[in-house]
Amino acid sequence: MMDMVWLGLVVGSFVSIGAYTVLIGDNPVSKVTEHLYTGILAGYTLAINWDFIMKNAVGKVQGGQFDFILPIILSLMLFARLKPEWIWISRYPVALTVGVGMGLAMRASVLSDFVGQIQGTLLPINSINNIVMIVGTITATAYFLFTRENKGPYKYVNQTGLLFLLVAFGVTYGSTASFRFELVIGRLVDMLRPDVALYTYGFLALVAIILIYGYTTKKIPWYKSR
Amino acid sequence: MSVIKKILNMDQRIIYLGLFIALAFPILSPVIVPVVIQDYSTQAFNFAKAIPDGSYVLIEGGNAAATHPQCGPGLTANIYHLLTKNCKLVFFSITAEPAYWTQVEIDDAIAKLPASVAKEKGVNWVNLGYLSGGESGVAALAADIRSVVSKDHFGTPIGDLPMMKDINSAKDFAAVFWWGGSEGSIPYGIRQLVGPYNLPMSGSCTTNEVPNYSPYVSSGQLKGLFGGIRGSAEYELLLGVPGPALAQAMATNIGGLYFLGLVLLGNILYLVQRMRGEK
Repeated sequence: MMDMVWLGLVVGSFVSIGAYTVLIGDNPVSKVTEHLYTGILAGYTLAINWDFIMKNAVGKVQGGQFDFILPIILSLMLFARLKPEWIWISRYPVALTVGVGMGLAMRASVLSDFVGQIQGTLLPINSINNIVMIVGTITATAYFLFTRENKGPYKYVNQTGLLFLLVAFGVTYGSTASFRFELVIGRLVDMLRPDVALYTYGFLALVAIILIYGYTTKKIPWYKSR
Repeated sequence: MSVIKKILNMDQRIIYLGLFIALAFPILSPVIVPVVIQDYSTQAFNFAKAIPDGSYVLIEGGNAAATHPQCGPGLTANIYHLLTKNCKLVFFSITAEPAYWTQVEIDDAIAKLPASVAKEKGVNWVNLGYLSGGESGVAALAADIRSVVSKDHFGTPIGDLPMMKDINSAKDFAAVFWWGGSEGSIPYGIRQLVGPYNLPMSGSCTTNEVPNYSPYVSSGQLKGLFGGIRGSAEYELLLGVPGPALAQAMATNIGGLYFLGLVLLGNILYLVQRMRGEK
């Protein structure tokens, strides 16, 4: 029997190469992989959600917990969006979902994102780290006080805040670049595995032939206008 | 056109090709360099180490296909670590795709564990699978697990799982590990588990999200944080169980050096161009 993990890696290698060809311009191979990925992900998400609903809503109603009929009805009301005259029906479950979500988030936000963060900044001035933390928090917050004119001693507070913000943006930019490398590395590790590498090189050659053949002969309809 | 101008206007595809080679080279010819362990990783590791043996631990698995290679080895190491401490693990995922990858990471950890360590499904660990509703779902799970999940990832009724007999809310757990990948969901755990239930929590996210969550570590709301491949590699190193992340971390370093070299080169050439009065 064929090893399904290996098969997944080989198919993944082909799809990844196809997706990376977008770097040389939009092309039929990148379009195929893009649609393949979107279709598979949509199908998988639908299946997982369907399974969740069947296990945790329909299953419970069948088990005698009839209060779960209400969320099922609310969920079905969302489909009213498909007909413009019935859109108003779908607004009730949307309003309920947004309201519950906001309420739950706000209840805890004050403590975790506001009080907790202020408490985290109330540090003893006994180390360089703590001093940087206190000065950075105060000056960066002060930078956003737009009601005060930027002159006198406040100008220096403002500039220090800007400096801290620029450092933070730099760190975020560097981290984002590193994250993108890690995404590519993750794919390369699978694509260059000894039992998959030969297929990866083969797919690379195949994709190159398709793209060069299509471009030079214009036999692939997509290339005719290019 | 001068050479400097040609370099500054280089086709970006050549830069991508160079990056591709820079990242592929360390994977084809692995070179291990010493890893300096970051404070956040040490804190997270010490937090896991301090959890009393046999405790119930809640784990959110948020690694998807894209983030599995970087954060997956870390979660695998985490599962390995906690199961060797005989902890009872309950997994859930708040997005659809990670539900599958979390099980892959559980299987990876189990395959690595020595035969002497108990690792039976339903007895030592339970994967509740996908949980719908995002933050609202987390709040509901924390209040009453059975109100939102009736069967586990494999379709087994919760009531049939021996490990779930004595637990039904966040109050029954000793700690939480939030492996959020790139979901951006760590604040959900802080808002719905740390705040209301006073549950100690440690997190993991992709490298780009570390700056967003570091204030939570400074404030003590997160006990530690593993970031991306480097975080995973550090966990493997601290645990003494080398895995795939260590080799990948080297490739990230080479990619970073390549990127830094380009930034420096670009700036130097730009300055030279300005000094020569060229536009």
